Amino acid sequence: MDIQHIMGVVDASFAARQSIEKALRDIDRRALNAMVLVKRHGNALAGYGVVAQAFRERAAILKTSASHLQESIAPLIEAYMRILQHQRFVQSFQEMLSDSPLHGKACPNLISTQSKWQTTIHEEEATARKILVQLLEAVQTLQEGVEEQEYIVTNGRIEAALAESTGAPLMRVSRDMGEAVRTVAQAIRSYRHQLESLEHESSTRL
Amino acid sequence: MKAAPVFEAGSHRWWIIYDQDEHRVIDSNVYVMESKGQSIILDPGGFEIFPQVFAAMVEVIPPSSLKAAFVSHQDPDIASSLPLWHACNDKMEWYVPKLWEGFIRHYGALNAPLQNISDEGGEVMIGGRRLEFIPAHYLHSSANFHVYDPEAKILFSGDVGAALLPPGHDAWVDRRDNTGRAFEEHIKKAKYFHERWMPSNAAKKNWIERVSQLDIQHLCPQHGAIYSGDNVKRFLDWFDKINVGTAII
Ligand SMILES: [Fe+2]
Ligand SMILES: [Fe+2]
Repeated sequence: MDIQHIMGVVDASFAARQSIEKALRDIDRRALNAMVLVKRHGNALAGYGVVAQAFRERAAILKTSASHLQESIAPLIEAYMRILQHQRFVQSFQEMLSDSPLHGKACPNLISTQSKWQTTIHEEEATARKILVQLLEAVQTLQEGVEEQEYIVTNGRIEAALAESTGAPLMRVSRDMGEAVRTVAQAIRSYRHQLESLEHESSTRL
Repeated sequence: MKAAPVFEAGSHRWWIIYDQDEHRVIDSNVYVMESKGQSIILDPGGFEIFPQVFAAMVEVIPPSSLKAAFVSHQDPDIASSLPLWHACNDKMEWYVPKLWEGFIRHYGALNAPLQNISDEGGEVMIGGRRLEFIPAHYLHSSANFHVYDPEAKILFSGDVGAALLPPGHDAWVDRRDNTGRAFEEHIKKAKYFHERWMPSNAAKKNWIERVSQLDIQHLCPQHGAIYSGDNVKRFLDWFDKINVGTAII
């Protein structure tokens, strides 16, 4: 386990989580703006109203799946830190053994204790991998949610073009929506890359 | 463990990390102060709870923002995690009581950058904020410091104010209660700790005199719960009245 790599990932995922949260808040706000605009124009924008409503509902779902993401990153980090903690034990037994090879002969327990810790670490690594896979699945779900959101934005553009005659600034609203969705998509992608680099490291070591 | 905000004004923030999941070792609180993207961790905790402290901390700050750690005294529930933090970030400066330097290195941190705090105290700048090291010797350790943030009006008080609370405890002594009843209930769980772990009435008296001069909104102990608002004065008055250490043993 390369602790500096993990620190880098924790930093990057902190930044990614922050921008996902911010972008989701932004999406929520844009969706609400669109709803208000539709209401103001009454029946004339009924078609766009359906899109705005769908956009808002999807935004709520995205928020929920993002919070699941939050819930599973903490156990992953804790699992890595437990490995770091236990590596200290293995290391100190290793040092005792290499300082004097006689220790191994005189005290066979030293070797067995060291290998017991080694086994514990392997188990903990397996646990960390399992959490990482779950986390990647959660990211996948979130990405699918964003794709659906992109689809709604496209629909919104079509409806906006159809309702152009009403004079409501729907094209701009749709553009803003698209922008917000793109930001969240990008943040999730970078988060995913970070996690995948951890997955790559743990699988190449096996 | 979980993190909760104690203070927030723009980029200047304090958090408490509390309610330990491991109950074979004493339950501890860890605090983090962040300002303009730099942070300091106060009494970072024991070796055994490091994974949960770290996981809760990175919910609120990125690990690369950690510039320093403060160690109020030499106890294992405070400083034995040092080698693990050092492995994660070897640039972090460790502010420790000078008297304890050679003892603290026993935790497996021969090469960690330790900054000695001399008996008179001192200060550190983190993200443009000045934190003061307030001497609190013999409360309980013979070289012991607290940290005061004059802008946030927070006093991190180490083992002073400590209470032994059950799992699932709150981070605060109930702030909404202004009758003082919540405080009375809470302080029963702090009594034994102070009587037994604080050695000297004289040290206590001297500390209360100095600390009463400070404007304190939150008194944050390393065990138990935070005293905010009126509970700060309630605590100081209570502490003033009890006998501790050599006075009762
Ligand atoms: Fe202590
Ligand atoms: Fe303590």
